[in-house]
Amino acid sequence: MAATVDLLEKEGVVTAENNQKRLSGGQALMECLLAEGVDTIFGYPGGAIMPVYDALYDYMDRINHILVRHEQGASHAAEGYARSSGRVGVCMATSGPGATNLVTGIADAIIDCTPMVAITGQVASNLLGTDAFQETDVIGITAPVCKWNYQVTSPDEIPEIMAKAFFIARAGKPGPVLIDITKDAQVASMSKGFSYKKIDRLPGYHPRVVPKLDQVEKAAEMINAAKRPYILVGHGVLISEAMEEFRAFVEKADIPVASTLLGLSALSIEHPNYMGWLGMHGMYAPNVMTDQCDVLIAIGMRFDDRVTGNAELFAKQAKIVHIEVDPAEIDKIKKADAPVVGDAKEALKLLLPLIQEKSHADWKQSFRDLEPEERATVNARDFAKEGKIKMAEVVRMVSDKTNGEACVVVDVGQHQMVGARYYDFKRPHSYIASGGLGTMGFAIPAAFGAKMGAPDREVIAFIGDGCFQMTIQELGTIAQSGKAVKMIILNNSYLGMVRQWQQLFFDRRYSFVDLQNPDFITIAKGFGIPGHTCENRESLSESIDKLLASEGSYLLEVIVEKEDNVFPMIPAGTSVSEIRLK
Amino acid sequence: MKQYTICVFTENSIGLLNKITIIFTRRRLNIESLTVSETERKGVSRFTIVIKHEQREAVEKLVRQIRKVVEVLAVFGYLNEDVVYNEIALFKIPTPLDSRPLDMEIINREHKAYIVFWGLDYVVLQKTGTEEEIFDFFRYIKPYGILEFVRSGRVAVAKTPKGLVEYLPEELEEWEYYL
Repeated sequence: MAATVDLLEKEGVVTAENNQKRLSGGQALMECLLAEGVDTIFGYPGGAIMPVYDALYDYMDRINHILVRHEQGASHAAEGYARSSGRVGVCMATSGPGATNLVTGIADAIIDCTPMVAITGQVASNLLGTDAFQETDVIGITAPVCKWNYQVTSPDEIPEIMAKAFFIARAGKPGPVLIDITKDAQVASMSKGFSYKKIDRLPGYHPRVVPKLDQVEKAAEMINAAKRPYILVGHGVLISEAMEEFRAFVEKADIPVASTLLGLSALSIEHPNYMGWLGMHGMYAPNVMTDQCDVLIAIGMRFDDRVTGNAELFAKQAKIVHIEVDPAEIDKIKKADAPVVGDAKEALKLLLPLIQEKSHADWKQSFRDLEPEERATVNARDFAKEGKIKMAEVVRMVSDKTNGEACVVVDVGQHQMVGARYYDFKRPHSYIASGGLGTMGFAIPAAFGAKMGAPDREVIAFIGDGCFQMTIQELGTIAQSGKAVKMIILNNSYLGMVRQWQQLFFDRRYSFVDLQNPDFITIAKGFGIPGHTCENRESLSESIDKLLASEGSYLLEVIVEKEDNVFPMIPAGTSVSEIRLK
Repeated sequence: MKQYTICVFTENSIGLLNKITIIFTRRRLNIESLTVSETERKGVSRFTIVIKHEQREAVEKLVRQIRKVVEVLAVFGYLNEDVVYNEIALFKIPTPLDSRPLDMEIINREHKAYIVFWGLDYVVLQKTGTEEEIFDFFRYIKPYGILEFVRSGRVAVAKTPKGLVEYLPEELEEWEYYL
C-alpha cells in the first residue's frame, strides 16, 4: 500500500525529547501515537484506561481527543477518519463494556480493510482472569475480527508493540489491530528511556507489495488477447491510492469498468469507460455484461457474494485475472487464471507498459445499449415525481448541487443502494459505507470521522430512519466538535430493505419493520444541531440548499415514499443474469 | 474423506492456540488431533494438526487463511504419504496375581510396545506408531483389561530434505537455536 511504501522510505528512529526521563506507560503510549503522526483519537474514558487519559491531559495540545457518546461511535468514527484520509484511525476505550462496545466497528473494519488501531484498558495484571470489575477477555473476543491483537502487561513493551500495531494495521491488506493495556502497565514507569522505531517488516508478516513479474506478464498476455475484456474495480485501488495508474491502464487498453460498492469513486463517473457499479442492487449493464466478457480483470476486490450472486455461475465463461494483495483471496471464491499477488498500485505500474493500446468501441457500446432499458424502467420509476418524494430524487439533487464533489457517507439499507446509484462520484474516497458487515448505525459516527479526516471536504451522510436511531447519541459528539457534518434522514418509517425483502420473498409478511419514529429535528435541536423536515417535492430543492448553506452541522429529514423498492435486484444466490428491473 | 496433516510454524506467544483453532471452528472443521511444541529454534512453535476433508482445494484455502495470522511464520498441508508421522499411546494394564501373564514377546516383537512403568499390580505400556498401529495394539491388549488409555496427537515431519531454516523467514537468523 502507498502508506507502507512511504513507511519504507521514511524508516527511522524516533526518540522522545525526554528520553532520559522514565515515562509511565500512559505517557509512552502518547509518545508512540505522536511518533506515528496520530493527530486524532476517538474515545471514551473509564476506570481501566484512566492512567492513559491522565497522560493525555498533558498531550491535548498535540493530540485531539474526541469524546464520543458510545464506544461503538468511536470505532466507526475511526473508520470514517481512515477511509476519508487514508491514515490509520485510532479509537480508545476502557476495559469490559467499553472494549466490547468497540467490537462492531472493529469487525466492520476487518471486512472492509480499514486501517485502525484500537486501544483498550484492561484490569491490572494481578487481577487478570479473576472476573474483576469490568474485566472481559477482549483479546479472546476480538481475535476473530482483528488483524492482530496483543495484551500489554509492562510499560517497556509499549513502544515495540505500538510500532507493530501501526505497521500491521496499514500494511498489505489494511485492518484493525487491538492493543489491550493492563492498568498497571499504564501506571508503571518504563525501566529505560523511551525510544521508538517504526517497523516495516515482521518475521511472520511481510506482505508482497510488488508482484512477481511473471504473474504480471501472464496477466498482460491474457488482457492483450482479450476481445471483450472487463474490469471490476474494488476498494483496493482506493486503499493503495492507485487511481492514476488505474485510469491510465483503463484508457490505454480501452476496457469498460464496473465498480464494486466500495470501489465507487475509484474512477470518476464521467469517465467514458465507466459503466456503473455491479452487485445485488447494482446497475443493469455491468451485471448482465459480466456474463458476456471473455476476460474479467478483478482489481482489489474479493468476489463478495453481494457482487457475484451465485459464484459458480458468475462469469463462468470468462478467464479471470485477479490482482489482489492478500494471497488468501486468490481462488477463494473464483478460480483465477492469472493471479497477481501484490498492491494494486504496484501491480498496475508493472502492468501498464506490458499492455497493448487497443480500442474496444463496439464492446463498450454493448454496455451502453442496455442502459435505455434500465432508464425506462428503474430510473423512470425512481423519478416518476408522483406520490411522496423518492430517495432517488433526494440523492440526485444533492449530487447535482454538490457537483458530485462531496464525500458521501451512507448507512445500511435502501438509502445506501440509492446513494451508490444516484450520486455522481467525481472524486476518489467519496463513498464511505459499511460494505462487508452491513452495520446499521455506521453513518453518523463514520460521517463525523470522515469530516475529521478530510476537514476541507463537504461530508454528507444519507441515513435511514432505522439506522439513525442506532447511533443517534453521536449527534452530541458532532455538536460538541463544532464540525460541519450534513445529515439527511431518508425517512420512510420502515426498516426499508428488510421490508422490501419481506415484500418480495416473504409474501408481504411485514414482520417488525414498522417504526414509530421520534421527532428527529427536535432531538437534533436538543443536541444543538439545527434542522428541518421536508415533506413535499416542491420544497426539496430549497431544503437541500439550506442544508448545504449551513456553516455548521445540519439535519435534513426528508419524508420519502413509504413502500419504495430498490431495483435492479439480483435475488440472493442467483446468477447476475437473473437481475430484476422491477 | 482424506486425512491431512497441517504443520503450522508460529511465534511462541500467548493466545495463539486460540487464533489458530478459531480458523477451524469458523469453518466447522473438526480437529482430529493437535500437538504443539517448541521447535529446535527458540521462540518458534510447531502445531501439528490433523483434519479430515473431502476436498483438497478447501484444505489449501484453509492453509492460506492460517497463513494470514500475523504470528504464523509458515504453514504446510500434507497428505499422509508426504509425511513421516507417529503418535504415542500409554496403556495402563492390570496385573493382579491371578491374571493371565502378558506375552512380552508379542508385545515387544510384534507390536513394538514396551513396559515403561511397573506398578504393584499394574503396568504401563508405551506404544509408538501410526493411529492404525496403535489401535491394532489396542485390540490386542484389550482382553487383558485396560485401566487407562491415552493417545497423543500426531507428530510429523515432511519427507523432504529441507530443514526448518530453509523456509522460515530470514529475520529469524538472529534467533537462538537449540541445536
